[in-house]
Amino acid sequence: MKISRRSWLLGLAAAPVALRLQRRPARPKLAAICTTYFKYSHAQHIVDRFLEGYGWNGTWHHPPMDLVSIYIDQIRDDDVSKSRLQQFPTMKLYPTIPEALTLGGSKLAVDGVVLVGEHGRYPRNEKGQTKYPRYEFFKQIVKVYEDSGRSVPMFNDKHLSWNWEWAKEMYDTSRKMGFPLMAGSSLPVTWRTPSIEMPLGAKVREAMCVCYGGVDSYDFHGLETLQCMVERRAGGESGVKWVQAYRGDAFWKAHQDGVWPKDLFEASLCRSHTLKPAREGFNDVMPTIDEMRGLVKDPVAYRYEHQDGVMSTMVLMSGLIEDFNFAARIDGQPGIFSTQMYLPMPPARTSLANFFSPLVNNFEQMYLTGKETYPVERTLLTTGLTAAGVESLYRQHARYETPHLAIKYQAPKPSTFWRT
Amino acid sequence: MKRVAVVATVYRYLSHAQHIGDRFLVGYPRDGAWHKPDMKVVSLYVDQKPEGDQSAARAKEFDFQVYPTIAETLRCGGSKLAVDAVLVIGEHGDYKRNEKGQVLYPRYEFVKQCVDVFEKDGVAVPVYNDKHLSYSFEHAKWMVDASKRLKFPMLAGSSLPVTWRLPDIELPLNTDIESALMVGYGGADVMDFHGLEALQCMVERRRGEESGVASVQMVEGDAVWKAGAEGRYSKELLTAALSRSDSPQGQSVVDGRTQDLVAKGELPKLVKTPAAYFIEYRDGLKATLLMLNGAVKDFNFAARIKGGGIQSTQFFLSPEPNVTYSACLVRKIEEMFETGKAPYPVERTLLVSGILESCLTSRLQGQKRLETPHLSVQYRAPQGSQHART
Repeated sequence: MKISRRSWLLGLAAAPVALRLQRRPARPKLAAICTTYFKYSHAQHIVDRFLEGYGWNGTWHHPPMDLVSIYIDQIRDDDVSKSRLQQFPTMKLYPTIPEALTLGGSKLAVDGVVLVGEHGRYPRNEKGQTKYPRYEFFKQIVKVYEDSGRSVPMFNDKHLSWNWEWAKEMYDTSRKMGFPLMAGSSLPVTWRTPSIEMPLGAKVREAMCVCYGGVDSYDFHGLETLQCMVERRAGGESGVKWVQAYRGDAFWKAHQDGVWPKDLFEASLCRSHTLKPAREGFNDVMPTIDEMRGLVKDPVAYRYEHQDGVMSTMVLMSGLIEDFNFAARIDGQPGIFSTQMYLPMPPARTSLANFFSPLVNNFEQMYLTGKETYPVERTLLTTGLTAAGVESLYRQHARYETPHLAIKYQAPKPSTFWRT
Repeated sequence: MKRVAVVATVYRYLSHAQHIGDRFLVGYPRDGAWHKPDMKVVSLYVDQKPEGDQSAARAKEFDFQVYPTIAETLRCGGSKLAVDAVLVIGEHGDYKRNEKGQVLYPRYEFVKQCVDVFEKDGVAVPVYNDKHLSYSFEHAKWMVDASKRLKFPMLAGSSLPVTWRLPDIELPLNTDIESALMVGYGGADVMDFHGLEALQCMVERRRGEESGVASVQMVEGDAVWKAGAEGRYSKELLTAALSRSDSPQGQSVVDGRTQDLVAKGELPKLVKTPAAYFIEYRDGLKATLLMLNGAVKDFNFAARIKGGGIQSTQFFLSPEPNVTYSACLVRKIEEMFETGKAPYPVERTLLVSGILESCLTSRLQGQKRLETPHLSVQYRAPQGSQHART
């Protein structure tokens, strides 16, 4: 039996939930806890890779583990789980989360949990946040852990929760109970064009991600894009002091006033493969600001200051581009450091959302080794940043102080993005 | 500032002339900045003006002239060559096909007219020829020979060798390649050229210089699957190449699932008209291009390396309309115009032009194997990597 000393100590410290630490089986069994399962839903992308395998390192890779149970919160008309259950009888559908985890018995009977709380019909609150039940699912999972006296590694797709307090509780619970937790977006781990990594210890001054999509949705991906790069700076991540959102006319005014650096903004656009031509008859042309205003109806920016003074800006430019581009200024380096985090996005450009492959591959390793391949504190911070951005928008773009986001952590030394 | 002439079949939206030519007019993304070439397009010739022709509008906006002949275009209406470089873009437009299925684009005729001007005026300047040099190897050879005779640098070919790779790999020079496979899609004499050139830019880095091709054979239909079953191309390399694809068709399109197309035996169901291009090099290397329409919509390469397992990658054709891969190509063209040196040898494209022609001849002649002594094209691969990686 392999025992993580840290988990063991944490387990002791939190005596009421000190759990027996698990044996790591040669071929782990997994349970998937999903909101819904339709074509191109996150559950489909993720669970299918355990069932069918996926292209990896130039061969067809079948994860050395079995996804044996699944819970689906909403079975829609366009559900595709039924065909999977027929084709893969080793995977069984359970009507509740505890049953999926215990395989219908009384104790936890799996070695890892895949929580995919993205997509599905859930209410939105007054701030525009979709109330995906990730926290509620997590609570039920952890209850089974507690009742069974043991805990197993968990992956949580996207941000931990729309609600910061809940996200923090999820994180704290995993640390207290001592189970490995990974979370987040595919953006930090997908291909990059060019295939470059932020040097560990780089003196990053200012960073930007120019991407697309909506608030409480793709903003999170943009924030993870930024965070996986800036966390590698000298001194490591120190957390965030404040966040300020800009939208609509306020965005354009801030852009005009140079609230964020125009050169990083332009460098980001120059990494795009999807720059919408502002002029008819041209296929690839840099738009003027006036042309951008014509193309982008609802621009959004979250600008924030890290505890160590580094500035980051996440910009949503739906209508202008459809990809995720990163740029940074680094002390002592001439020019601008920039790349695109490339998503082969179906259905327009591909048939497979293969950016899920490196994501799955990373957390697959966690189920095998019991070690997170990158820190969940990254996603704890980006979860808080997403909520803070939404909050600032809700408060009419007021600067939102974020003392609760003083989250410190060190980036992993090795690169974890897709390069093989 | 260098003066550039554009000699094109057509200039309309998303034609090669438009997306290559425009980058000299409005700039293009390069190394994370918007790069404007320090060059001016001064003249344009278009062979055809179909609906949507943009030649007059571009000339007006960017202050250059459209001339009625190639000679006038190169001389800008004067009596002597008046440009520093020529872009020959003979892709798209309404041209006939021959019995081999080749579109008779007048690239040779265009370059020949340029060469006539060079000879008459006693000066020659760099020429970029888009895609293969000609449907005829004989013509292609003449074009390359003219560039040697008159000592003007020449670059040609596809964007695929210079586009992004997923993953970003390069075979080190003098790699011992045991066999190589490219999987692609699209029509014969159009997209197969891209597949062959992407294949060539990888295998030309093998041990010893490129020494040319000894024989080719093109087969279609069930013969392609039969050849696979007989081990004429490796199932393992096919799996490796397809593992790089982002666009498997069939069930992935229906319900989004990942698929091991090879192990599941899906290929014969998905591909109604498969085509295999078998190439035997003079040094013994065997390489295959499989065109699998219906199975994938991207270009993926795999090679077995002696003692080094399998190397594989996707040649990334970035989405329309930006087609940023053509910006990667324009960078190389501009480099030649600027320095007077072709960044990679035009012999690559000469050889690939010949391989393609001979394959299509093989198809016409009952899919038989053809000896290709005329394809003993020799050249040395460039030392450094030429594809997009910065």
